Amino acid sequence: MSNDEKPRIGVYICHCGENIAGAVDVKAVAEFAKTLPDVVVVRDYLFMCSDPGQELIKQDIRDGLVNRVVVAACTPRTHEPIFRKACEDAGLNKYYFEMANIRDQCSWAHWHEKEKATEKAKAIVAAAVAKARLLEPLEDRYIELTKEVMVIGGGIAGIFAALDLANAGFKVHLVEKSPSIGGNMAKLDKTFPTNDCSACILTPLMVEVANHPNINLLTYSEVESVEGSVGNFKVKVRKKQTYVDWDKCTGCGACLDVCPPKARVPDEFNEGMSLRGAIYIPFPQAVPKKAVVDMDACIKCGGRDFSGKEPRLSKSGKPILAPCEKVCPTGAADRTPYRDPNGELVELNVGAIIVATGYKVMDKHHFKEFAPEHPNVITAMQMERLISATGPSEGKLIKPSEIPKLLEAKKKGEKVEVEKPHTITFISCVGSRDNRYHTYCSRVCCMYMLKQAMILKEKYPDLDIYIFFIDVRTPGKDFDEYYMRCRQLGIKIIKGRAGGIQPLPDDRLLVKGYDAEIGKPVEVVTDIAVLATAIEPNPTLKELARTLGINVGAEGFLKERHTKLYPVDTMTEGIFIAGCAQGPKDIPDSVAQAKAAAASAMSLLDPGKMTVEPLISEVNKEKCTGCGICVPLCPYGAISLVECEDGKKKSEINPALCKGCGVCTAACPSKAITLHGFTYDQVLAQIKTIARWPEIPAE
Amino acid sequence: MIESEEGVPNVLNLSEIAEREREEDERVVEIVREFGAENLIYCMQCGSCAAVCPLARVGFEWYNKKLIKALLLGMKEELLDDPTPWACVACNRCTEVCPRQVSPFEVMFAVRRMMVEEFAIPTLAIEGLRALYEYGHAVYMTGREARKKVGLPEKPPSTDSDEQALKDLKTILKNTKLAKLGLIPMND
Repeated sequence: MSNDEKPRIGVYICHCGENIAGAVDVKAVAEFAKTLPDVVVVRDYLFMCSDPGQELIKQDIRDGLVNRVVVAACTPRTHEPIFRKACEDAGLNKYYFEMANIRDQCSWAHWHEKEKATEKAKAIVAAAVAKARLLEPLEDRYIELTKEVMVIGGGIAGIFAALDLANAGFKVHLVEKSPSIGGNMAKLDKTFPTNDCSACILTPLMVEVANHPNINLLTYSEVESVEGSVGNFKVKVRKKQTYVDWDKCTGCGACLDVCPPKARVPDEFNEGMSLRGAIYIPFPQAVPKKAVVDMDACIKCGGRDFSGKEPRLSKSGKPILAPCEKVCPTGAADRTPYRDPNGELVELNVGAIIVATGYKVMDKHHFKEFAPEHPNVITAMQMERLISATGPSEGKLIKPSEIPKLLEAKKKGEKVEVEKPHTITFISCVGSRDNRYHTYCSRVCCMYMLKQAMILKEKYPDLDIYIFFIDVRTPGKDFDEYYMRCRQLGIKIIKGRAGGIQPLPDDRLLVKGYDAEIGKPVEVVTDIAVLATAIEPNPTLKELARTLGINVGAEGFLKERHTKLYPVDTMTEGIFIAGCAQGPKDIPDSVAQAKAAAASAMSLLDPGKMTVEPLISEVNKEKCTGCGICVPLCPYGAISLVECEDGKKKSEINPALCKGCGVCTAACPSKAITLHGFTYDQVLAQIKTIARWPEIPAE
Repeated sequence: MIESEEGVPNVLNLSEIAEREREEDERVVEIVREFGAENLIYCMQCGSCAAVCPLARVGFEWYNKKLIKALLLGMKEELLDDPTPWACVACNRCTEVCPRQVSPFEVMFAVRRMMVEEFAIPTLAIEGLRALYEYGHAVYMTGREARKKVGLPEKPPSTDSDEQALKDLKTILKNTKLAKLGLIPMND
């Protein structure tokens, strides 16, 4: 259909079931539409987006009745692509289509004013018709896509996203901020609802990541900047200085024990329940198993500070070395060469990004009512470490207050008697469902409390275990059965979140609660109190989201494009999210989401190129005066001033970067910029129609 | 309102209850399970049983749902003076509605049996037992005079008037736990 053909407009009005027809007199709008200039066909239908609805439009196009299409229905946000496709399928340029939103902007908004709603619907349709008369045919553009993906975060979600993509043949750059991948799952003892050992199922996957030919593993690294857009992101990743030559380090661990007591700091992996040296390997199954030096903790023994100085010599002429470098069998810990504290900057080109930065558990110190200073009041994550074979007590259940004594004796190679608990009490919803902290439910606490209780009760049947719940929430496959198994083991469930913990003089704790099921206050004297503290987004997530240009919700987790339909997409095309960065979830859900994000990235990048709407701005060089007003206004950095043949500078828009927001078009003092699909004439025709309502401007 | 607070303290010390169970080396849950409340541990405290329980409606404190929770917590001594289990009318509505097939009615009766073992029986129940032994009726009909007046036999045509049947019943009762406990005289 040629451009210069006189417009013959078809107007198609949707009832949207009752959504539109419930407030707007559709028949009256249809009758009115027939009177509008260039309108040749008007039809209405119960659901215009249904197959038969679309067929009405297609048939009219195929019959040569119409060459411009206006659909008066819902929002173009969800339905414009559907109707454009219908036009295209019937042989019409799909940009000869215009949508009038008479649902979200009319019937829904004026549900109780039916006459006025009908009048407004007429005006909206008239405005759309006015624009449709001036529509131009446009052609889609294509951009090339880089078939590489960056995955941020090396926990279980990041690992699965990376593996799925790598197995499908995509090059993956897995960026992890700590020295090892594994994330929070590596800290867990066992996993519900099957109680398989966390390390046993996780470690093989970590090794697979490290050995995969398509995965470029960047641990101890952080994303510094991201530029570009879908298909072509330019990313700068900071590889932090490890102060250990990883090519030489074999992960033997000889350096770990010699680091002096003064340089020891709380061990993150053991949730602060033991100390680690300044030089450390995060945990025994770390991948890569390499040591790093924590410079904030290092006391630079012998003045050995990586500044490039040769070691001083002792009186006997021997070089004075730090204990770690002295003991290192491969020279990896050598402190003589200069090491740049800034590390190294790596540049990546990727087509898509998956953010899977996980979570952290809330600190216990916020909760003064639960005696947080007491060593035997611990978080559930600390309990994981306490019962884990790689934990501070090597999996032996002892009172946390006894850990220092145990570790001291172990160092000296002595045996020592330590106190074991007889009673353990769990408290739910600590910081979750709490308006002072987090209003949301952390989703996994009920199940992990039950899991820890079950593991403990099965291993130590004499233990008295109490769990204080507000509600027991077990909405997962095999979850409620798991809960019932706990009850059958004799774990005592109290309905009611405990109100306080009072330390007793004998080092035990008095938990004060209320059993809503019998309607009485209850008290438990306990040896250990476990707080199921809330799951929080990582503290650096907000900044990362800013770097990536994606949104964060009120609770601080990454916001998905649509809760139900686009759960792993973000508002920025090409950036996907997975795991607890999006919101609290368990391992099965994190893995499912990671696989979904990987599949989404694949379906985006696999074709190698993608269609981009031609609804972007273009500079008319004849009219452009080169004032440059538009250049700094562009939010996407798409406009630059370039020298033309006549030596004058003129604006130029990079079509690959332009998103068609229209800021430059509106700002240009000489009207030199056209936003295709929203030209001056088209937009003015719409505005005039509304402004002069109910008079219909002739031209 | 039925006052049943005597045995139950205002604040329950769960540790003391657990300690007592340990000292006596028997878990309350196991005791009542042996007395017939086999499915007690499947209770999830949904409350359907209490919704249909006549005892709850008239204000007895330890009706089915609460009684089950108390047993799950290990309470026993606290409940011995409570009249609720004896007020159960065995209507069995609770059993019909329970989604966990706990049979709360069985729990009520298991608790009665546990109480009997502890000699914690209300006088009324002793009277009932005595009447059962003497006449074959736990709830014995009064009004023998009235029956005579209207020309009826003094005793109803039941075990009460059937010497052989009454004798058999007594033999049976003498072979139950009741005789061992010696709660009522069983001389003849």
